[in-house]
This record gives sequence, C-alpha cells and structure tokens, in this order.
Amino acid sequence: MFDQGLAERKTAMTETKISARNVQVFYGETHAIKDVNVEIADKTVTAFIGPSGCGKSTFLRCINRMNDTIDICRVEGDIHLDGEDIYDARVDPVQLRAKVGMVFQKPNPFPKSIYDNVAYGPRIHGLARSKADLDEIVEKALRRAALWDEVKDRLTAPGTGLSGGQQQRLCIARAVATAPEVLLMDEPCSALDPIATAQVEELIDELRARYSVVIVTHSMQQAARVSQKTAFFHLGNLVEFDDTDKIFTNPEDPRTESYISGRIG
Amino acid sequence: MNEQHIASAYDRDLEQIQTLVTKMGGLVEEAILKGSEALPGRDVDLAETVRAGDKAVDALELSINEACQRVIALRAPVSSDLRTILTVLRLSASLERLGDYAKNIAKRTIVLAESGRMDATNGALRRMSREVQEMLNDTLDAFVRRDATLAEAVRQRDLDVDQMYNALFRELLTFMMEDPRNITVCMHLHFVAKNTERMGDLVTNMAEQVIYLVTGEMPDDVRPKADDTAYVSKPE
Repeated sequence: MFDQGLAERKTAMTETKISARNVQVFYGETHAIKDVNVEIADKTVTAFIGPSGCGKSTFLRCINRMNDTIDICRVEGDIHLDGEDIYDARVDPVQLRAKVGMVFQKPNPFPKSIYDNVAYGPRIHGLARSKADLDEIVEKALRRAALWDEVKDRLTAPGTGLSGGQQQRLCIARAVATAPEVLLMDEPCSALDPIATAQVEELIDELRARYSVVIVTHSMQQAARVSQKTAFFHLGNLVEFDDTDKIFTNPEDPRTESYISGRIG
Repeated sequence: MNEQHIASAYDRDLEQIQTLVTKMGGLVEEAILKGSEALPGRDVDLAETVRAGDKAVDALELSINEACQRVIALRAPVSSDLRTILTVLRLSASLERLGDYAKNIAKRTIVLAESGRMDATNGALRRMSREVQEMLNDTLDAFVRRDATLAEAVRQRDLDVDQMYNALFRELLTFMMEDPRNITVCMHLHFVAKNTERMGDLVTNMAEQVIYLVTGEMPDDVRPKADDTAYVSKPE
C-alpha cells in the first residue's frame, strides 16, 4: 500500500562498529568533551552537528586518535572499534588510521601526481605486491570516489591542479585506498560549490554500502540529506542521538529543536 | 526551546502566516454565526452578506498558500516550524471548505425565504451551528496557544454535533411523511443540517491537526462517532 513512499533511509545493518563509553576530552584545563556515550552503526552515515566549539570535531578526531598529536590533549573513557579498545597500548595508531580513514575540511592533496596521491597509503602499508596490484588499487579507489572518468587520462598530472571538488574527491579516493572500515569526514564540503557538494554527497551515500561513515558538518541540510543517524553536540555534551528523520521532524530535546530550527541556543 | 529565531524576519514571516489563518478563522466563524441567525427568521439580507463574504475567505486561502510556499522555498523550515507551516496549510484548506458550507447554508436560507414556514427545527439547527462555531473558536484558540488539551476536548465534542444531526434527520423524515408538501422545505433544511454536521467533522480534523502541531503526532485512537443515519431506512 505504501510502496510509493520515500526512499528507504533506515539501515539494514544495526551492528555497532564504534562504541564510545564515558569519553572525556581535556585540552589542558578545558573540559572539551563531557561524558559522551554513543554507538555508531556499521554501513551507516552518522552526522555530527552542533555550533562551533561544541566538540564534534574533537570527538571525531578521537575515533582515529588524531588527538594523540596534540600534547595538551587528554582522552579518558573507552572507544571500541569492533569490540577492541583503540586506546589500548598495543594498538599502533598508524595501523588504526589505515582502518579509520579521514577526509578534512579543505582538500589537501599531496604535491604529487594524482596517481601517487592515491598510491601513497597502500605503498606505506604494503598493501600492493606488484605494480599491477597497485594500479588496480588506485583505479578502484578513484572509481569508488567517482573521479576515475575525469582523471584516467592524466594520472601523472599533479593532484593540486584539479578543481576543488575534484581535489576533495581525490582526498576521498586517497582515504579509501587503504581499504578502511570507517571513514571520518570533517566538513568535507565546506570549501566546495553546490555541484561538487552534491557529487560528494552522492559519493557518501554510495560509500555507506561498504563503510561506516561519520561526518561532521555545519550544514544541517547536509546532515539531513546524507545521514541516517544524527548526533547533536552542544557545549561538549552529546545532547541527542537518534534517527536523522526524527531529529529533523520531532526532536526530543528543546536544545536540539532550537539549534536545528535556527533559534539561538 | 528558544522562541526567537536568529533571523528575525523568519519569525515575522511565521507570525504573519499565523495571523492570516486566525483572521480567516474569524471570518468563517462570523459566517457560521450570521448564517445561523439568518436562517430562523429567513433573513435574506443577512444571508446575502454571508454569501458575498465567502470571497474574502477564498482570497485569504490564496494569500496563505503563497506565503507558505515562500517560507518553504526560502527558509527550509524544520521540526516545529515545518509543522506550523503544514498545519497552517491544512487549517486554511479546512477553513475554505467551512466557508463554502456556510455559503451554501446562506443560499438555502434565501430559497427557504420563499417557501412555506417550518419553524419546528429552528432551535435544533441553531444549537447545532452554535456548537460548531464554538468548537471552531476553541480550535483556533488551541492553535494560537499551542494547547493540545483544548484541541482534544474539541475533538470529543463532535459526538454532540453528530447526535443533534441524527435527531434532526429523524424529525425531518417524520415531517416529510406526514405531508409531502413539506418535502422541498425539509430537504433544504436537511442539507443545512448535513452541512453543519460536515462542518463539525472538518473542525474535528482541524483540532487533530493542532494536536499534531503541538505533539508531533496525529492522534490515532478511534474517536467516538454517532452519525448512524447512513443505516436508517425508515423513521422510528
């Protein structure tokens, strides 16, 4: 009877990929993340929204231990990836980051060729046994990032010569080349025009078939468009975490309502 | 939740749209009230005012549609703002229908003025339209105050209107059987009663829409109904 309804936004997989328990983050004296508990599902796009300085990027960076590089940063609590504690002393952060890829706000291709940009990760992680192997990995990653057709004839050209949208998709190709399981995206579209944004969003939706994608975005409409789950952060607290359609139609918390509807809060 | 948007023009737009609906509601209430006053005395002039007044109601519906369309396109409302817009659109559509029914009753009043007298049903018809007008008044209040409890109370009152309609239906049927010369008048009066009963249903839908606006969910429990005239084959 309802077979003409909206495209299905629910995810078939409800298996937890990342599980955070009682996570606290301090920058020196500043308590940046306050007791965050969240279960991020596999093969799902999860959006983190919230005003500037609410801790959403900080929390995202905890998931691949990017905060390790900041001296004054202290992380407490547990973050498990597939049931394993990623802050365990035996975990190699470099290996972890191969499993948990990241795409940043500004496209930051290496000053190398398009090919080498993508091949870099697989090379240092020893994922390819031969040149043919590597060629295949590069092509697959570029295809997955919906960039292959545009660059296949100029793989030796510098990555920095591409347009902004293409550069960002190159960075996504670079991130997926190491066969990650989780893809973290910190405002991946904020430097892109609407067309490139739409292409990246379409790509994110395709990537969700394979990865658990976590995206931080300032654009609430983007969160509404691409994600199945949305988490709202405010002043270091995770205020509300629920299905995206619930968050945008009838949120539980008045602070969420204030924020998404553009009221001061 | 904060009441004010950061963009104050957004607040003004939403306020403007809601003012238009309450204005439209006021006009429709007046039409129902005047219609119920015109009927018993067969006051043709008053009925004529009601009939002419429907144009303003229709014009308001158009303005509301345009305003809502603009806010949706320019502001991309979400959550309670989106529910406000959706509710306004549905309320104005219902009000437009209510206006049509009031206009139809006024037209019948004008026709009835030229037919024989039939005063036995005056009281019941007036009570019925008074009840609907009060239900509408409460629904509009519930809308303005975001009062789901009041809206729920209105929703339950439709039962009374249905029962009044049932009684009238049977009464009119009896008059028609007594004397076939009554049939024309009674048929018109029956349509007046039926229109009023339909108004009650529309107001009930509006009350449900207000509940949705406040709670985010449509009430899904079964509402008591008493209109069983669809099963009547002969007067008792």
